[in-house]
Amino acid sequence: MAENSRTALRAASFAMLMSAAFAVFAAATPPVHYTLDPTRSLLRFTFMQAGASNTGRFNKFTADVLFSNDNLAASKIDVTVDINSLDTGDMERDDTLRSPDLFDVKKYPQARFVATRFTSTGAGRYDALGKLTIRNVTKDLKLPITFQTKTEQGQNIGYLTGRVTIRRLDFGVGQGEWKATDQVPDDVQVSFSLRLAPKT
Amino acid sequence: MPIRNTNARWGAVAQTFHWVIVALVITQFVLANEYNHLPLGLAKLAVIAKHKSVGLTIFALTVLRLIWRLMNPTPLLPDTLKPYERVLARVTHFGLYALLLVMPITGWIMSSARSFPVSWFGLLQLPDLVKPNRALYDAMHTTHDVLAGTLAAFAALHVFAALKHHFYLKDDTLRRMLPFTRTR
Repeated sequence: MAENSRTALRAASFAMLMSAAFAVFAAATPPVHYTLDPTRSLLRFTFMQAGASNTGRFNKFTADVLFSNDNLAASKIDVTVDINSLDTGDMERDDTLRSPDLFDVKKYPQARFVATRFTSTGAGRYDALGKLTIRNVTKDLKLPITFQTKTEQGQNIGYLTGRVTIRRLDFGVGQGEWKATDQVPDDVQVSFSLRLAPKT
Repeated sequence: MPIRNTNARWGAVAQTFHWVIVALVITQFVLANEYNHLPLGLAKLAVIAKHKSVGLTIFALTVLRLIWRLMNPTPLLPDTLKPYERVLARVTHFGLYALLLVMPITGWIMSSARSFPVSWFGLLQLPDLVKPNRALYDAMHTTHDVLAGTLAAFAALHVFAALKHHFYLKDDTLRRMLPFTRTR
């Protein structure tokens, strides 16, 4: 009896070892290295202002993405945003946003998000755990994303989308009178839809 | 005071519309003057948001007021009016109603053209009428200002006529738009 169970245990251990080895082997496939297709990508932010919802966008940003559904350990998202390229549809407001009390673009021209840890939350859905830096303030951010691939003209194209709410004051976007949240609340929703082409 | 209009005087509902809109229009001029002296900042945003909300309210009340007017008899103009005065009275009244409807719309277009959406006291957001367009904004701004001047001129004429009827001609024209009064 004891002998039988020991054999069974041994067999089970072997099976587990094999599947682990297989998993390691599968994971060893390097993720695809993507770069941004800026003409078909959008990075937007939505904020409330005096009771009305407003939307703006960043016209210039870059993305360096390593992603593979079956190799999350080696996946990485690195997005750099040119803050000066912000566009809310009104020049005067854009200049106000660039001013020292808000983004202070002269001192802090870039924002950056880097994620190196991913957890699967469903088919094609993940939480990207990373660090967001705005105005030189870095905070941990859990960013829910979706990632899909499509073959377009023989190329493996990645589509990365996501949406997250951040608090502008966590990053100091709002100094002086702009610290007040009654006209412009703290919450800002950031959403993006990126088209990624394999890096050549 | 009756709720509905008669041929001789305005009823309670019509009077309420009239005087509430008077108060709101004065508020609009006060708010406009206030934010014209403010730099772009939180204070200005707050005052402009109030101006937009009050403007929307005026628009909605004017629509309801005109519907009520159509459902009621309109008090007759005094017999003592000369023909040109009758025309002038009609033009002034029509002009005032038209401005109460057109001014909010020009304001709404201004807001949309600068991508500052309109919200009614933060409770209801209106869709943008046009895409961001600085030239259109400038044109609408000028229009809004000219219409404001026209509204002030029409209102002054209207007040002058009401006071003339009350103090000089001593008839019921003003009294019939006032609560707690008796008409002869």
